[in-house]
Amino acid sequence: MSTENAGLARQLGYTNVRAFLGGEPAWSEAGYPVYASNDFVVKGNIVLLDLRSGDAPVQGRIPRSVNIKYEDLESRMDDIPRNAPVVLYADNLDDVTDAYEDMKDAGFNTVAMVKGNFQGWVASGGAVESGPIFSNEIKWVRKLGKGEVSVDEFRKAVKGELPDTFVIDARTPDEIKELGIFTNTVNIPLDEIPKRMNEIPKDKRVFVHCSTGARADLAYRELIKNGYDVKFLLLNISDPECDCPIIIPE
Amino acid sequence: MKLKGIVNLLPFALMLALLAAGCAQQADSTAKAPAQQTAQQADPNVYTGPIGGKSNKAKTISMTVGKGDDAKDVMLRFDDNTEGLEYAKKGEAAIIKWEQRGDDKYATIIKPKLAKLPEGVTEIKADELYKMLSDHVPMFLADARPEMRYDQGHLPSAVSIPVPLLKEKKAKVLPKDKNQLIIFYCGGYT
Repeated sequence: MSTENAGLARQLGYTNVRAFLGGEPAWSEAGYPVYASNDFVVKGNIVLLDLRSGDAPVQGRIPRSVNIKYEDLESRMDDIPRNAPVVLYADNLDDVTDAYEDMKDAGFNTVAMVKGNFQGWVASGGAVESGPIFSNEIKWVRKLGKGEVSVDEFRKAVKGELPDTFVIDARTPDEIKELGIFTNTVNIPLDEIPKRMNEIPKDKRVFVHCSTGARADLAYRELIKNGYDVKFLLLNISDPECDCPIIIPE
Repeated sequence: MKLKGIVNLLPFALMLALLAAGCAQQADSTAKAPAQQTAQQADPNVYTGPIGGKSNKAKTISMTVGKGDDAKDVMLRFDDNTEGLEYAKKGEAAIIKWEQRGDDKYATIIKPKLAKLPEGVTEIKADELYKMLSDHVPMFLADARPEMRYDQGHLPSAVSIPVPLLKEKKAKVLPKDKNQLIIFYCGGYT
């Protein structure tokens, strides 16, 4: 994308055009700061962390923020879903920078800062709320991505409550022998899907799952390409959240 | 902000190279379309495009080949003899040589699709860019990714100019001064 834009700029007559091919991932990997747009801080599906200590958050904070002072961040890290986009702010550059690097190191993919910290937020006219804080619980729910089925809907299907749905388990027969298979589910390993397409009914909706969602995603692409109405489950099925009935082999 | 020591630099450089592949895929295939078509006609058993995913358990790679309405996802098997599996990373562009075995296509050699800069465009690395920003070197820094990605996290002082916007608005979204330094960045293929 950067080279495409750079090429376009050259065509438009710009003489001094450069491309930073490493881009945002290389930038943040090097520990340099990235900022979230203020609008995204207000509306995005994010975990917004206020890293300040003492009374400051009670005096004024960004709405929707959760107060975890920097000293406590490490011990609270496991309460934050790793796939959640995280936005951080503090009242000094050191805390927010350290927290940014800690979270990157801990495996958070999308971490950004509020531009200019809390002071910058206020200066830019961002909304502030004040008063007592009743909860510092993190309540973040991932929004379903393209082609994903919700766990609730998937569970209904394997319980046989959705008669027009055909559920495929894309794991290998060995995995199923060891761990069992969900009820109302047919095993077609990912690599056999192209040649066993005739076993998958065209007039039903198709759900695909595997062990974590990676193979199900690939199966989804293959089935979409072949004209199926298909969704996949992006979940580690050993996650208690799944809670789907399993047939354990004898 | 600081670099976290020299040890980080090697993987960082490697990552730059890999990301470069993803970043440039689109532009590259546009620019080199005629050459690529010739190459594909000469050797039909080569796929070029972004990797959709890789499953080690099913020994399968999914990738998107072709552009626009012709784009389709293909599935390739791989085995212990497949070379360059490390380049089959989700979201990054690769060139895969394959052979037909029975009903399945097997990847034999996987190579990263490296960035090719357009004529007259030079590359800049993170450290140099950071120094220029710190020194307040006048520049127009633009994020070429979709706006959503910009909103999630962008470089200091960057503006959002996704590829479709620049195509539509052209110089209207760029500086008036044609000699102004312009730097574009993105975030890999996605």
